[in-house]
Amino acid sequence: MRKEVKRLKIQQIIGSDAAVATESGDKVFQEINNFLKNGFSVELDFEGVEIMTTAFLNAAIGQLYSGDYTSEVLNSNIKIINVAEDDKILFKKVIDRAKEYFQDQKKFNNSANTAFYGS
Amino acid sequence: MRICLPISIKSDFDGYQCLIDIYNEVLDAESDTIDFSFQNTKWFEANLAAGLGAIVELIENKGKKVIISDIRPQQQDILQRNGFLQKYGYSRISHRSGTIVSYQTFKPNADNLFRDYIRNELLSKPDFPTHSRLLGKKITESIFELYENARTHGRCRQAHTCGQYYPNKNPKRLDITIVDMGNTIKTNVNEFLQQPVSGAKAIDWAVQKGNTTKTGKISGGLGLSIIFEFIELNKGKIQIVSSDGYWEYRKGETLKKDFNGIFPGTIANIEFNLDDRSSYRLKNEVSLDDIF
Repeated sequence: MRKEVKRLKIQQIIGSDAAVATESGDKVFQEINNFLKNGFSVELDFEGVEIMTTAFLNAAIGQLYSGDYTSEVLNSNIKIINVAEDDKILFKKVIDRAKEYFQDQKKFNNSANTAFYGS
Repeated sequence: MRICLPISIKSDFDGYQCLIDIYNEVLDAESDTIDFSFQNTKWFEANLAAGLGAIVELIENKGKKVIISDIRPQQQDILQRNGFLQKYGYSRISHRSGTIVSYQTFKPNADNLFRDYIRNELLSKPDFPTHSRLLGKKITESIFELYENARTHGRCRQAHTCGQYYPNKNPKRLDITIVDMGNTIKTNVNEFLQQPVSGAKAIDWAVQKGNTTKTGKISGGLGLSIIFEFIELNKGKIQIVSSDGYWEYRKGETLKKDFNGIFPGTIANIEFNLDDRSSYRLKNEVSLDDIF
């Protein structure tokens, strides 16, 4: 059975056309997380969002990898629409980075130390 | 106590060292009033008002009063237009058609006000590059990444910002400076790595893609690298001052130096090249289907 899809208008959730702050991203994450947990799919509508930062997207989208969601679950339950062509690369960077960050947070932190000190 | 500023203060290593010297000189001053005298100062780069304003904030937090005196007409005009002198009893001069990006302070949760500032002070300016919408967007994006970085990592009480257009320079440029007096990059990086690293090395670590001092449920390590990648393409310049570290990137070269004394916060100054004709179009389209 197909799940009911909830449309989330990002501009309405954050009350701005600038999706820039970590806190705004966290608000969006909470909404997505609540719907997914309750068995809905979501459509994230970025219409009207003029500017975005990775800080916002780390919190809104990247944070989805902090829990139990797999890529398969996220791909089949989240659709992202109305994103400016030149902003799409930010999503890719944030998602790649989040996967890396959460895959093994501890291991990553250690490897950052090693990279810096070379030992 | 009277502090005479030097003949010239520019956005370079020596200029920032001068701000650090000023701060360290007044740090333990006993007098209740600090007088910044501009009598010798023939050149003060307007965007550095953000750095001086941040130092004033620290002095005032100690219950002292700051006055600005003996300012020469040319410096007075610029600092009156950008609003810096307003709190010292000088009236504000309208700057609508000018090359000024005004001096402002922002509380940490004021991202909408900061958005308005960017909209009013940059995007609506006649000299802002209209030939490339994408360049304008990239500049705005970099400024927001920088602001967000200052806000979240510095955990500052307020950020001080100021800028200046140089439409007659070749290439045309826009300088924008954001200063926060919260935790320095050196403090955050040393705490994270649990090892002592010099100020310049700490900044160098922080600007590398994937490096972040965040450890919680929200990933990081992209903001500064996004700015850095853009500045590289834009052929602009970025300077970061934090604690005793100085880090600069321009024309493919990175300069890392340590100051004498510390700056108790972070100054980030970006110089954007407004004559940039790069298209900023992506070579390969990114699909959001199955992006996860």
